Amino acid sequence: MDRVSGKAVAANSSALKRFVSKPDFSRLLILAVMLAITAVLQQNFFEIKAIVRNVNAFTPLILLTMGQAVVIISGGLDLSVGTALSLLTCVLTTVMKKADPVTGAYALAAAFAVAMLIAVINGIGIGYLRIPPVIVTFATSFMWLGIALFLRPTPGGETVDWFRAFYNPGSVEGMPAFVKALGAVIPPALILVLIGYALWFVIRRTRTGRYIYAVGSNNESAYESGINTAWVQMRACMINSVFIFLAALFFVGQNQSGDARMGDPLTLRAIAAAVVGGIALTGGRGSVYFALVGALILSFVSKIIFFANIANAYQTFFNGVIVIVAIAGSHGYTLYTRRTKEASKLT
Amino acid sequence: MGTVKVLEATGIKKHFGGVVALANGNLICHSGRITGLLGANGSGKSTMSKIIAGVYSADAGEIKLSNKLVRYRNPNEARKDGIAMVFQNLSLVADLTVWQNVVLGAEEKKRLFLNDTAAKDIAREIIDQLLPDLDIQKVVHELNPGEMQIVEIAKAISAKPKLLILDEPTAALGQAQVRSLFRYMKTLAERGVAIVFTSHRLWEVMEICDYVTIFRNGENAGSIDFSRDGKDPEKIVDYITGEMLKAKVKKKRSAATSEVVLSVTDLNYGGVLKDVAIELKKGEILGIGGLAGQGQHELMLALAGNYAGIDCHAEINGKRIRLNRPANAIRNSILLVPGDRQLEGLFLKHSLFTNIIFPKLGLRRQPLFTPRRKYRSECEQVVDVLSIVAHSLDMPVSELSGGNQQKVVVGKWLSFDTNVLLLADPAKGVDVGAKRDLYEYIVNQVQEKKMSVILYASDNEELIEYCDRLMIMYEGQIVAILEGDEINDDTIVAASLRVR
Repeated sequence: MDRVSGKAVAANSSALKRFVSKPDFSRLLILAVMLAITAVLQQNFFEIKAIVRNVNAFTPLILLTMGQAVVIISGGLDLSVGTALSLLTCVLTTVMKKADPVTGAYALAAAFAVAMLIAVINGIGIGYLRIPPVIVTFATSFMWLGIALFLRPTPGGETVDWFRAFYNPGSVEGMPAFVKALGAVIPPALILVLIGYALWFVIRRTRTGRYIYAVGSNNESAYESGINTAWVQMRACMINSVFIFLAALFFVGQNQSGDARMGDPLTLRAIAAAVVGGIALTGGRGSVYFALVGALILSFVSKIIFFANIANAYQTFFNGVIVIVAIAGSHGYTLYTRRTKEASKLT
Repeated sequence: MGTVKVLEATGIKKHFGGVVALANGNLICHSGRITGLLGANGSGKSTMSKIIAGVYSADAGEIKLSNKLVRYRNPNEARKDGIAMVFQNLSLVADLTVWQNVVLGAEEKKRLFLNDTAAKDIAREIIDQLLPDLDIQKVVHELNPGEMQIVEIAKAISAKPKLLILDEPTAALGQAQVRSLFRYMKTLAERGVAIVFTSHRLWEVMEICDYVTIFRNGENAGSIDFSRDGKDPEKIVDYITGEMLKAKVKKKRSAATSEVVLSVTDLNYGGVLKDVAIELKKGEILGIGGLAGQGQHELMLALAGNYAGIDCHAEINGKRIRLNRPANAIRNSILLVPGDRQLEGLFLKHSLFTNIIFPKLGLRRQPLFTPRRKYRSECEQVVDVLSIVAHSLDMPVSELSGGNQQKVVVGKWLSFDTNVLLLADPAKGVDVGAKRDLYEYIVNQVQEKKMSVILYASDNEELIEYCDRLMIMYEGQIVAILEGDEINDDTIVAASLRVR
C-alpha cells in the first residue's frame, strides 16, 4: 500500500515539475502578472460590470486568435481574417431589415455560407494549388475587402432587434426574463468563446484534429501516411471561418452596424497573439486553448498602456515592444528548461 | 503448404527528368520469405521499392499483387492492399507522440471521437517487441534517430501488411536494436508476411535474408537463393559493383606518431557526456564505438564546438583552446564531417560550388568581392581529387547521390590544413563502392599529411577496419579503450555491453 501511494506522490510531483518546465507555464505567469497590474490600475476591476466590459472588449481578438491558431498549426497562415470579419459584418447588416425579425435568420445563414466560401477559396489556394499561404491570404484579403466595400462603402446598415442578444440580451425587448438575467451575469461574449472552446474540444478528438497537427508538423510525412493533406488544410480554414463567424455575430450585436474596415487591425494582432500563446509559426506545435492566453496577454498589455496615460504614439510603440518581450521571454524560458532537461536526459 | 507468390513486378521503368532511375526492374516476393534488395546508391532499388509502395508511379511495366494487376496512384491505395513501406527518409511527424505516429492515417474511431485506448494498445504491443524501453507517450522529436527508426518500423507493421518493405531500416540502429528487429522480422515471416529488406551492410543481408535480388544501374544484376546457392559474399559484392573487389585491405598501416595533437580532459556536458578524456596523436585514427545513442554523436558535436555550455580542458598542440563555438574549433583546424549530411553538413538546395567554398567565406580574410574564378578552379580540384560525380559545379547538391554528397561534406574542408578531422558516421547510407573511396582517401591523407582523425561509426566493421585505437562509450562515459589487435567484433560487443 505504502509503496503505491509513494509512487503516486512521486508521479504527481514529477507531473508538476513537467508542467512548470513547460513554456505554457511561463505564459500563464506572464498573464498573471498582467492581470495583477491591471487589477491594481483599474480600481473597479473585480466588479461584475467591469469584468463584463473587459470580456466584451477582448472577445473578438480571442475568437480570431483561436481560429488563426488552427490555421497556423495546420501549416498555414491567414492574413485575411480581418477583412473576412469585416465582410461578414457587411453581409449580416445588408441582409437584415430592422422591421422584419425573420431576416435575422436569413442573415445568419447567408453569413455562414459566405464564411465557408471564404474558407474554401483560401483552402484551395493553400492546400490544392500549394501557393504559399501568406501570398494566398494576402491576395484574398483584398478580395474580401473589395466585396465588403461594395456592400457597405461607409459603415452602417441595419439589424433586427434580437441580434443585440449576441452582445447584451438585457437590451432586447421581449426577451424572456431569465435570459436577460443570465445575460447580465454571463455575458454572451463569454458564451461565444465557450462555444469556440467546445468546438475545438470536439475537433481535437477527431481525425481532423489529429491530422491538422500532423499536416502542419510535416506535410510530406502526413501525405505518405495516407492523409489527404490538402483537404485537411481546407478543413482548418473552415474551422477558422467558424471562429470568424462567431466574432462577426458579436461585433454586429455590439455595434448594430457593418464596417468594411473594422477588422483590419485585428489580423496581425491575432497572429501576434497566437505566437505569444505559444503557437509555432512553423506549424504543428501549440495549443488552440492557449491561444486564448496569448490573446488575453496582448489585450491586457493594451489596457495597461492605456492606463499608463501616455501619448498615443507611445502607446502604439510600446504595444509592439511588449509583444516582442513576451515572445522572447517565453522563448528564453523554453531554451532554459530544455537545457536543464537535456542535462538530466541520460542520468 | 509452401510459399505463395505475393508480388511480381516486371519490366518496371522510371525516369526523373532526364535521369533514368530504373531501366528494367524486376522483383518477385513470396509470402514468408525475406527478400534482400541490394545495389549501390542510385542503382534503382529505392525507386523500385517506392513504385511498389505507390509513392511513385512507374512509366512502364506491370505489378501483380497476388496475381492481380495493380497500379497505385498514392501510398494510401497500396496500404489498403496490404503493402507497407518503411521509408529511408523518415516519414514520422515530429510533433505527435510515438503512439499517434504508429497509427497515423489508420486511426480507429469510437463513435465520433478517436479511439486512443485502442491506438495505444496497438502501438505498445509492437513497440514492446522491438524496443521495450521506449515510452510510447513521448513526442517523436525527443527521440534519438535509432528510436525514430523503430517507431517508423512499428508504424508500417501496425497496418498488418501482406508485403512489408524495409528500406535501409538498420542504418540508424545500434547492434542490439538490429538484433531485436531481426527477431521480429523472423516472427513476421513465420506468420506469412513477405518482406523486402535493403541494407548496405552485407553481414545483415547474409544473416536475415533467404533470397537476394541485386540491382545495378537500374537493372537486375542477379539473384541468389541462399538455401540453394549458398551464401557467398564475394558473389554479392561482385553483382553490386560489377567487378570483383580486391581482397580486403590489410589493417596494419598505422601512421600514428607519439606526438599528441589534441588532448581533452574532464569534458562534461549536461549529463550527456561525463568526464570524457581524449588524447589524440598525430597521424592516428581514433575510433569511437559502443551501442547507439551512448553519447558518441554528442561527443563529436562537442569536440567541434557546438555546445556553448561545455565544460572541459582542451589543448591543441599544447595550446589551450575553448570549444564553446564552432568557429573556435574550425580556427584551430578541428573540422567536423557530420553524419546526417542532409541536415547538418550541406546546403541542399545550393550548388556544389557554393557548398565547397562556403567555409572559406566566413573564416579567411576575404576580399570585398569573392574571387570567383580562383575559387572555381579550387573547387574543380576538390571535385577532381575526390572523384565526385557531377555534371557541373552549379548543380544543386540535392541532385547528387548520397555517396557524392558525403564527399562534398569532406571536400569543403580540403583547402584547410586539418589538425583533427571528426568523422561522425561518414558512411551512413553510402554504398559499398563510395564508402571504400571515401575511407581510402581519408587513410591516404592520414598517412601522407599525418592528419589525425576521430571516427565514430555505427557499423563495427568500419571501426575494425580503420581504427588504430578504439574507445567504447557507455552512457556518456568512455568505458574501454581497445588497441591494435584487440579490436575485433567480439571485444567491441563485449565492451559495449559491459560484459567485462
